[in-house]
Formats: sequence, structure tokens, C-alpha cells
Amino acid sequence: MKRDFQVLGGRAPRVDAGDKVTGQALYAADLKRPGMLFGALAHSPVAHARIVGVNADRARSLPGVKAVLLGADVPQVRFGVSPARYDETVLALDRVRYAGDEVAAVAAVDPDTALAAAGLVEVEYEELPAVLDASAALLPGAPQIHDMYPGNICAEVHQEFGDVAQARAQAEVVRRDVFTSKMQSGAFLEPQCALAEFDHAGRLTLWSATQTPHYVQRTLAMVLGLPEHRVRVVMPRVGGGFGPKASASSMEIATCLLARATGKPVKTLFSREQVFLHGRGRHQFRHEMETGIRRDGTLVFLEHRAILDGGAFASFGIATVYYAGSLLAGPYRLPNMKYDGWRVVTNKPACGAQRGHGAVHARALFEQQLDLLAEEIGMDPFELRLKNVMQAGDVTCNELNMSSLGMRECLEAVRSDCGWDEKRRQGRRPGRGIGMACGFFVSGAGYPIYRSRTPHCTVRVRLDENGGGVQVLSGAAEIGQGSDTMLATITAEALGIPLDHVTVRSGDTDLALDLGAYSSRTTLMTGSAAKEAAESVLRQIQEALARATGEPAGDFSFVRGLLHLRGLPHCVEAIRAEFQKERRGYSGLPAEGPLTFREASRFAFLERGLITGAGQYRPPPLGGGFKGAAVGTSPAYGCSAQVAEVEVDLETGQVKVLRITGAHDCGQAVNRTQVEGQMHGSMSMGLGEALTEQVLFDARGRILNPNFSDYKIPTALDAPELRALIVDSHEPNGPFGAKEVGEGGIMPTIPAVLNAIRDATGAVIDELPATPERVLAAIRKLGRHGPAR
Amino acid sequence: MKRLIRLRVNGEPVETAVPANRTLLELLRDDLGLTGAKEGCGEGDCGACTVLLDGLPVSSCLVLALQAEGREVLTVEGLAQDGQLDLLQQAFVEEGGVQCGFCTPGMLLAAKSLLDAKPNPSEAEIRAAISGNLCRCTGYQKIVESVRRAADLRRAARRGP
Amino acid sequence: MRLPMFEYAEAKSAAEACGMLADAGPDAALIAGGTDLLVRMKRGLERPARVVSIRRLRGGLPAVARDGARLALHPLATMAELAADPLLEHACGNVAAGARAVGSPLVRNLATLGGNLASARPCADTAPPLLSWDARVRLQSASGEHSVPLDDFFTGPGASALRRDELLTAVEIELPAGSSGSAFLKLGQRAALEIAIASAAVRLTLDRPGGTILAARVALGSVAPVPLRARAAEDLLLGRVPNEDLIREAGEAAAREARPIDDLRASAAYRREMVAVLVRRALTAALERAGGGR
Repeated sequence: MKRDFQVLGGRAPRVDAGDKVTGQALYAADLKRPGMLFGALAHSPVAHARIVGVNADRARSLPGVKAVLLGADVPQVRFGVSPARYDETVLALDRVRYAGDEVAAVAAVDPDTALAAAGLVEVEYEELPAVLDASAALLPGAPQIHDMYPGNICAEVHQEFGDVAQARAQAEVVRRDVFTSKMQSGAFLEPQCALAEFDHAGRLTLWSATQTPHYVQRTLAMVLGLPEHRVRVVMPRVGGGFGPKASASSMEIATCLLARATGKPVKTLFSREQVFLHGRGRHQFRHEMETGIRRDGTLVFLEHRAILDGGAFASFGIATVYYAGSLLAGPYRLPNMKYDGWRVVTNKPACGAQRGHGAVHARALFEQQLDLLAEEIGMDPFELRLKNVMQAGDVTCNELNMSSLGMRECLEAVRSDCGWDEKRRQGRRPGRGIGMACGFFVSGAGYPIYRSRTPHCTVRVRLDENGGGVQVLSGAAEIGQGSDTMLATITAEALGIPLDHVTVRSGDTDLALDLGAYSSRTTLMTGSAAKEAAESVLRQIQEALARATGEPAGDFSFVRGLLHLRGLPHCVEAIRAEFQKERRGYSGLPAEGPLTFREASRFAFLERGLITGAGQYRPPPLGGGFKGAAVGTSPAYGCSAQVAEVEVDLETGQVKVLRITGAHDCGQAVNRTQVEGQMHGSMSMGLGEALTEQVLFDARGRILNPNFSDYKIPTALDAPELRALIVDSHEPNGPFGAKEVGEGGIMPTIPAVLNAIRDATGAVIDELPATPERVLAAIRKLGRHGPAR
Repeated sequence: MKRLIRLRVNGEPVETAVPANRTLLELLRDDLGLTGAKEGCGEGDCGACTVLLDGLPVSSCLVLALQAEGREVLTVEGLAQDGQLDLLQQAFVEEGGVQCGFCTPGMLLAAKSLLDAKPNPSEAEIRAAISGNLCRCTGYQKIVESVRRAADLRRAARRGP
Repeated sequence: MRLPMFEYAEAKSAAEACGMLADAGPDAALIAGGTDLLVRMKRGLERPARVVSIRRLRGGLPAVARDGARLALHPLATMAELAADPLLEHACGNVAAGARAVGSPLVRNLATLGGNLASARPCADTAPPLLSWDARVRLQSASGEHSVPLDDFFTGPGASALRRDELLTAVEIELPAGSSGSAFLKLGQRAALEIAIASAAVRLTLDRPGGTILAARVALGSVAPVPLRARAAEDLLLGRVPNEDLIREAGEAAAREARPIDDLRASAAYRREMVAVLVRRALTAALERAGGGR
């Protein structure tokens, strides 16, 4: 569906780009408050231990130290992400559960003193046997990490849709594969940082590099025992999040407690090592899938078992283990699906949500299986997918509703853009490969993380009393993904005004409610609320003009900031004259032609008083009635297809990705440049996860590579040419037809790369990341046992 | 114990007393209030703290302030002249080379040093020049395009209207 | 990340630097580019009470100077300078390639040759190429100066013949007669910001283009406690007219000589295997550059 838009769907620069290229943009670490102290945390060096004694005398007596908090000094209130799994405390009281667990918090006059004092806190540990991998954690008699998780099982899922046993009998070709991965880091460039201050009335403000100010506000209120309105959480500019910044941390809470203890503002900044210790990135997965098709390529069933190593705390883990299963139900018609998943705790940093939450590695295996199955029946991988793709109006076996789905269009777009058919026709060349895969993701979680019928966001659009300006007041979390620009664009489009009339204030719990930047929810949800609010403002202006002129309100609209209406309004002259009279001495006032938005909105204010529009978004009731039906539900789903072309050094196992071509259905692009940017970022992150990224541990559970030297995200020389093709399907539940692009784009990348490696070498990669050594080993295995294909 | 050092920052002379363990990055951010350079890792692995030292891009987290004595430092704050964005900045804005913005100041300076030396770089040269500046948001695609566009803008500006 | 406190002094001459080191005793460290020392200090791996800067000792001297067959590399030359030095590229191309392989442009603009050698990491990217040219290093202390073959310089991971009170004042290469070609190959997971999984530098000197091997050097990085000469591989090549089989055998011999370990970057077995590949490829490239046709 093609629509004529004024600003939507264009390539306007981001609203924050100017500040970001000049250094004017301020991030949490850049902030200063008068009298500010500096916080630091002390971490457990051991993975699992009882705390036998703590002595902070030396730390307290260091000159410049203003406060030292130990486990016993902080509220004993448990927090976390899912209320049913609140398992974290601000500081460990009697037990540490991973090497990195926070045991003390210090505030001092400068960072050096704070760090020195944290190092002087003496903790006596009585080490307990540690559990460092999920399979060990599940063994009978394994050390128990939390009383609340018997058998170290933090969450488990058992679902069956259709009848897998019966379907298996109908399947003609069946494959069973196992795929494992390693823990991965979001590796956002900006380390977490928080600055807390209480005003003299005792109201708390926390500036934090978070992606969920609302959840942080609630957690602070709960742990500190304050009503929510006494807690304000503000996001400065945030340097990326990708999921791991989507929950309140001990560091944030401890910083507030230090501010309360000292009566001074306190700022705490993570080192890169602490970013790794805090973790909350991608879980370590073990997937086992059995997938069956008919000889004609029809997908028949999937039986899937997953074990997630979640580290020491639940974090987002319940949602993760559900997503790992539920999001395989699309974008293909899959009538029978059985899923058993276990999310296990271990003595490692907690894992949480990371771009493509829970679904990425499951997708990586499933899409490899589809390729292998296609090969077994002699079908082109594209054809197999095209045979099974869902379309708008389809409902998955687990009751996810595809209100729009341009999956077929995505497949066709990448297939032709990358020259797939030609390249496949040329036949295989050793060491050169091409592979494809698809993906599918929610456009906003259907439910908040706490049980509530709350709207997921509220937005106010406020007309500047002087006329012309429009302010969008939102709680949305701009973490670099472009939500401020999205809000400005949607508001401008709804009002019919240029982008420069709109300013956006966001990421502040004082402004509005917003659940935050996760589950790719902001464009659809907060965008819808902004649209509703802007439309209300437009209506109020129209009504003022209608009342003054006697014309029907519906006749007034704005096009690029100019009043557009049938017939010449006799009132224009009067409105313009009044506007000019108010501005004696001004220059550059509108003099002729249609009435401007500036004049009209000023007039509307004079007529009606303050004009604001309110908008909010609450998803319609979604999902089935089965246990866990809520996770995976969304008002809409985005989808993508990608092709990766690779070169593999058959002697060293080194993989060079030459090009990735991706197509994504985002419903309607709000800003094409930004949509492409999200797709590029997803591909690049997927590339890193496919080839080089892994958090490594020693035998005692300590991270071996808590740095960017050995945690290897792609450099500009590793990232290949990335081609981004936008598919607009028009999503009926999204603002102007828009839906997600933030996360869905990572889904196909890993399997597309792995399928390309197999095309180049014949070898199946069954463990991430595909380091040269692993790739070479897979090639060698092939030599011994013959090709897997 | 502090020592007095003199250097030039963004064309202006600076005279300040620093302790021996102060890095150039800390001097810029904490003492001079120039917070454009960011600390992403503190170990020279990410490039967020890139500044030009005598015209060459370096990780300012790995330079002692004392070792910058007598030298010329350019930070992102020194790129725009008289409120007018530098062509590189303009290109990053227009081409979508900016997302979260945390790598942007360093990226701009690494790119500036390249374009100052090579007005018409190839894509491979652009990628090599920014290979010490990590970006997690863009996959580098639009950053590379921004640098290329800046090179075009610069050459056009040199040729005159 | 913060640096611990230390005293700082800047030397104006090599002699003064030596004096400062002698005075400071065992708690002193030299700083040139700082890319190694400062990271180690931030990580708490090193905590010198006194840091002596030698950044001013370069004077106006060039990165690389040639006097007849003698090539002198200034220890304060940065990796970026060496990477782009036409004289070095022409005479000992694999040394320039090693410099280009270090870290990233940001690091190469700071890191110095002296630092790369003095830190004595088995993965130092300039060490194998310099070993392949029989480079010597000059070490100076308050009590005098002496020259050491680079091959005798490295004694263990992070350990070298450089005493605490000594300064590395020159890196020298005596260019051999005949027709030489060299190569350096580094295996990593990324194209930049990499610490080598394994690396190989080779140099072949032929009596004439297409002729016999007068001298062969095969040096390895990241596969032993020190940057390592693979002498058996060298012996195999010496005096022979190179061909594909010989080159493959030399690679395999070098692999047998490697003494790699398992670490987070790769297993010992993989490293050993890669030595054979890298050496074979490097020899092939070096042979071509030396004018050895098949």
C-alpha cells in the first residue's frame, strides 16, 4: 500500500545528530552536580561462597571516604525483573553467587579514592562448590544456588501445539541436530553510569544510562521504600543498550543509597570489566531440534528442547526461555510444535535480554536445519521457505496473529538483489559460499513485566503557547535507536508540519509513562500514542478555526506547515493581522499566502487556552489461554530475510564475510535512513555473534576476556558491505502502518552466515562462535566422515 | 604532586597543573570540561576517546597528560568553526553515520586525520583508518558512506562554487 | 579506568635516562608510547613507583636510516612510521608488515618499536620479522653500551636481556648480499585489534634470482614463550633450490619446533597446525619477492 506522506518515510537527519557530532550531547558520565561524590563497588572474586566476615575499617578510615555500605547496611528487599523471580539484593549479605557479585559500595570525594576504598573492604569468604555450566547444574546433588530454585531450575516451559507424535509419522524427511553457543555481551560502547541526587525535600533523581527508566523507577521505589512519585529517573543521552541495560541494577540502587547516606550527589561509573561482570547479555544456549518435512517441502513438525545457562540471577530469563520456543512458530506455517525449555542458574554473571531476545540462537539452528532439509529433498533453500511462508492474516500454532507479514516480499527482494539464482547456478567453488535465512520478531511485548492493565506508554503533545512549536513529552527511551526522531516524525506527520517545528523530550519519568526500549516496542506503541496525542492537538486547532470561520472543522488541515483548505477563508486576514499586531518589531513574519501553522496554532491558543493532546497505548488482549501464552504475543510482527556471502580459508578456518544483503518488513518506514541503520546494526551484531564473540571463563568462574581486546566485536575491517532493503507491508496496528526494525534484523544473520560457511566447505557448524579453530575442526570432521550434506 | 603543563587544545593555549597519573582523556574531560571524548574501555581497544595529537589520531586514555606537554590536541569540540559544522560532521548528520553517538567523536577525528592526509580515500582506506574505532550500532556501513561523502564535500568546497 | 599514582620524570638524553633508571632502582619503568605500560598499570599488573619518559630522546632522528648495508631503526619510531616507511618497505618489507599488523591506527600512532620489543611478549608483531633479518639491539646503561642479537634478547614471556637499568637505544640490521625476499603473516580472528593466534615471518636470501638459498630465516610469534626462530626449518632450506615440496616440508618442520600453549585465543594443537600453513605461505610469498621462480 503506497501512501503519500509529508515527512514520514523520508531521510531526514536524526533530531539528535547535531548534538552528537559536536560533543554537545551529554551522557551520564559527562554529568556533574555540585558537591558530587564518586561511587565504587567491591565485587566478589570468587564464584560461590559464604561470607564469613566483612571488615570495612580500613576502607572507612581512608581520607576522603564519605560512606561505605555493606550487605547489612542496605534494605533487604529483593528485586529483579519478573516479580515472581525477584532474586537479587543490592549487596550480598551472607552469600556471593558469582565472581563479580557486589559486596560493598563506597562513596568518596574522587574516583581514585572511591576505587581505593572499595579495594580495602576486607571480606572473608568460605568457598562453596561452584556450578559453572547448565548441565552440571541440573545433575542430582549439584550445589544449589538459590533456595527458590530447587534443582537450579529458574524457569521451565513445556508446550505442545498440534500433535507432534502423530505429525512425526507423516513426515518424510526428519533431521535431528544439536547446537550450542556461548554467553555473549551486548558490548554497547557506553559503560553503565548512574548519578543520584536527593533534593532538600527528599525527592530522588537518578540520571542513568538505562533503557528502561520506568522499571528502574519502580525498583528504586520498592527497594528504597519511596512512593514512585518521589523517584525520578532521567536518561541523558545513552550510548547503546541492546537489552542488557533494560533492568535496574545493584549499581544504580547502591548509588542512590550512597546519595542518601551522604546527603550528596553520587556518581558511579562502570569500567568495561564491570560491564562484563554485571552481564545481562545473551544467554548460553543448548538447542536440540528435530524437524520434519514432506518430500514436497511442506513443514510438518518441530520438536525442540532448549537449556539456557542463565548465570546467577533470573533477570529476564523467564521471558528468554519462553521466547526461545514461541518465536519458532513463525514465519513459516508450522502446524505441530513441541517445546521443552529449562532456564538454569549457575555461578556466573546473570544473562538477560539481548537484541532478538531468546530467539536468536534457536533461529540459528532452525534455519540451518531448513537448509539441510532442503538439500536432502533437492530443493532450493528459497523455494523451501517460500513454500511455507505465512502471510498477513495467518495465525501461528501458538496463536500469534500475523496482522501484516511481508515475509514473501523480503525473500523475493534479497533473492533478486544478491543475484542468488545466478550465483547458485554457477555451482560451488571450494571456499566460497552463499547462504540465506529468515527471521521473525515481536513488535512490542504484549504485556509488561509486572502484572498490570497499565497502558504501556503515555505521550503528551503540547502546543507552544506562542504558536508554531510543538513539544512531544514522552518517557520513551532513546538509546541510539532513533526513537526521538521517530516521535518527532510521527507527530509532524500527524499535524502536517515540518520536522523542525517539533521538539522531543523523552526518557524522563516526570514527563510520561513508558515501559522502555525493549522488545522492539517503541515505534509501534509510543509512536501510536504520539500519533493519538498529535491528532488530538490537530482537532483542537481545527475546532478553533471552525468556530471562528463557521467552516466544518474537517476542512482544515496542514500541509508542510501551511493551512490547506477549500475556498479562501475570510478569517485569514484577521488572524494574520492579530498575529502581526502581537509581534511589533519582529521580522520575517508570514505576510502573504496561506495561513501558517505558527499563526493558526497561536490563534487556537488565544481562542481555547492551553492546547495539549494526550495519547496512550495499551495492546488489545493478545494470545491464547495456555500457560506462558503471554510471551511472544505482540500487536504485530516484523520479519526479515538475509543472504550472506562468505569466503572460507580452508586451511586456517578463517571466515571472511564479503557481503550481507538483508530485507526487512517494518510495515512502513518512519525514516528510511534510520531503518537501514537498524538493519545494518543488527547484521553487524549478528556477524560478531556468529564468528567471534564469546564470554570466556576460567575453571573458577572468572571471566577471561572482560575487555574489547579479547571480546571481539567486528571492526570496520571485519564488517562487510551491508545492503539493507526495506519492505513496507503496512501494519494495521501500527502508527501510519509502522512496526519494528530494531531487533528482527538480527534473526537471519547467524544462520545465513553459517549456511554460507556450509555452502563453502560442506561443514556444519554446531557451536557458536564459528572461530577459525572451530570451522577448521568442522572441515576436518567432514574429511573423516564425508560431507554432512 | 602536580606539575604544570602547557599545551594547545583546539587551537587555544592551555596551562594547567596535573598529577602524574592523569591521562590526557581525564585532563580533557575532568579538568577542561571537554566531555566529547568518551571512555568506552580505558585500554585503547575501542577508540571512543580518540583525539588528534599533533594531527594524528590516538587513544587519549593511553596518553599521560604530562606526555601531551607542548603538543597540539584537537577534540570533537574543536571541529565546528564559528558555529558552522565541519563538512565531516555535516556528512555524518546527513548520511546517518550517527546512532547512539558514543563512538561518533572519535570516529570523526579518525576520519579527519585520514581526509587531511588522503583527500580521496578508497573504501578500504576508510575502513582501515577507522579500524581502531569500534561502533556497535551502525555496522560501519553509514559511517563509511559518511566519510566518503565528506571527502566529496571537501573536494567540492576546495574547487569552489 | 584509573592509573595508580607514580612519580614521573622526563629524560633529555639517553645518559640521563640511564641515570634516572639507576637511581630509581627496581621500582622504575620506562614509558615511550605507553600503550603497553599504561594498560598493565591500569589492570594492576604493574605498579612502578617511578616512570621515566624517554619521549624526548628521539631528537630529529628519522625512523629508519640506511648506511650502506646497515639499516638502523630508531626504537622510538612509532609503528605507524615504520608501517609507512618506504626505506623499510623496500629493504625489509616484513618488518613494515609486522608494524602494520599491530593493534589499530590509534595504537600504532603511539606504540614504539622499542616498546614492542622491550615488552617481550611472544605475540609482539615486529619481533619475528626482525628476527628474520638477524637484527641486533643496542642496550645502554650508566655503565656502558653493548649489542645483543635479537635472537638472544627474548628470555621468556615478558622477560628479556634488558636489565631494569638499561635502555634499548638502537635496532640494527645488516642487510645481506644477494637477492632477498621476506614476508610476515599473522593469524587472528579479526582484521584489526588482534593479538596474534600465531604469526610467521620469513626471509629468504638467494644467491641469485631463481638460485640457491644462501640464508633462510623462519621466525614465529605466539607459539612459544618467546618469539622463536625455527632453526630446523631454516636448516632444511639452506643451500637448496626451493620448490613447493621443500617449502611445505619447511612449514612442517617449523610446526614441530613450535612450543605453543592452550589459551583463550586458541588451542596449542591448532596453533601448531597453523604454523605449518603460515610458514608455507610466507615462504612462498618471500620466495617470489626474492626472485625465486619455479
